[in-house]
Amino acid sequence: MSSVVNEAFSHPALFYRTGQEYAEQTVSFVREGLASGEPVAVAVPGPNLALIEAGLGADAQDVLLLDMTEAGRNPGRIIPGVLRAFADAHPQGRVRIIGEPIWAGRSSVEYPACAQHEALINAAFEGRAATILCPYDESRLDPDVLADARVTHPTVIAGGRERASDVYDWQAVVARYNTALVPAPDAAVFSFGAQELPEVRHFAVGQAGRLGLAGQRLQDAELAVAELTTNSVVHGGGRGTLWIWAEAGQAVCEVRDRGRLTDPLAGRRPPERGQIGGRGLMLVHYVADLVRVHASDDGTTVRFYLTL
Amino acid sequence: MDATHDRGEPTPAHGGAVLEVSPLSGRPGICVSGEISVITRLSWQEALAELARRHRDVSYVELSGVGFVDVAGVSALAVTAMNLPGGRVVVEHPPPQVPRVLELFWPTVRGIEVAPR
Repeated sequence: MSSVVNEAFSHPALFYRTGQEYAEQTVSFVREGLASGEPVAVAVPGPNLALIEAGLGADAQDVLLLDMTEAGRNPGRIIPGVLRAFADAHPQGRVRIIGEPIWAGRSSVEYPACAQHEALINAAFEGRAATILCPYDESRLDPDVLADARVTHPTVIAGGRERASDVYDWQAVVARYNTALVPAPDAAVFSFGAQELPEVRHFAVGQAGRLGLAGQRLQDAELAVAELTTNSVVHGGGRGTLWIWAEAGQAVCEVRDRGRLTDPLAGRRPPERGQIGGRGLMLVHYVADLVRVHASDDGTTVRFYLTL
Repeated sequence: MDATHDRGEPTPAHGGAVLEVSPLSGRPGICVSGEISVITRLSWQEALAELARRHRDVSYVELSGVGFVDVAGVSALAVTAMNLPGGRVVVEHPPPQVPRVLELFWPTVRGIEVAPR
């Protein structure tokens, strides 16, 4: 082995069928990293985290362990809040991460954002010395989800063997799930320009409170609305429209404008520390339980969900 | 416009949001009221720049009269504190967005202290 750090980004999907296979594969991946002196983080759902922790024994204390159902509840915050946060904290040499953002309980509303997240990891880490292994539960996930994983990962490990994926094309998955979003018919609506920025925020707080948000969740909704409406005024043609409603136990808030969002990593790329702007959409990703975006030539829709 | 000397004069704003900035009496720093958002961004950044120029050991930013601060407003405060050559900024009685955004984006920033409402 050369002492020069290999700069190539590695992003394999790991297809597993049993808990035993999961533990063997992930624990040996972690141990391999520890043996080469690489910083290692594991962000997977709680029960799988317990499997890895048990398999590592005393070595678990050298690994950052995160429950992905909390850290990555909203898949849109995993790149800045989990992956980049860990990689940026260890700028010397290679980092090694297990990230499992897709589990059998993910809803059909969440899934498109999960698949886009997996695709965007490739853009976010291009040319960076990192290995990010993404486990997929072959026995419980939908075949379409497994098919997408072959498109979002350049290599797939199945049955213990790693092979290049001949259908790898992450941009295709970003595009496929960039679908139109339609507000609920009973949504409360408020159109705003620069003049109405305080009013639209007050309107959203009133509506969100009426829907059942309170305390810090209501304050988070206020901040998220402020950032999205400000983006519409500054980048989205000067004005926009806010919709807010409740659906399936969540408050849903959506802001539409005529702006064109062309950067697929918008809101996921941590800005320089000394930079004042550039954290608005990231704030929305950090506080919300889910964010869905539709970007087209006609405009941009950003929708966020907060569980009631 | 020298925001720190605009005692009691609302910043002309084209929206419903205004920002008033005045020097504190008896201690170094500023007292701010109104709303810190894209509409009042310039006045806020000018006030912070002036605060940094006059900074010695401790500067105070009194925010009990501020109803709302957006993410860039809190970031401007954090970056100001971060770039001080020494000492600290004490942010007094801020609205809830200030501790929340600091916690999310600036958890380890030095030179800033929050005295809660």
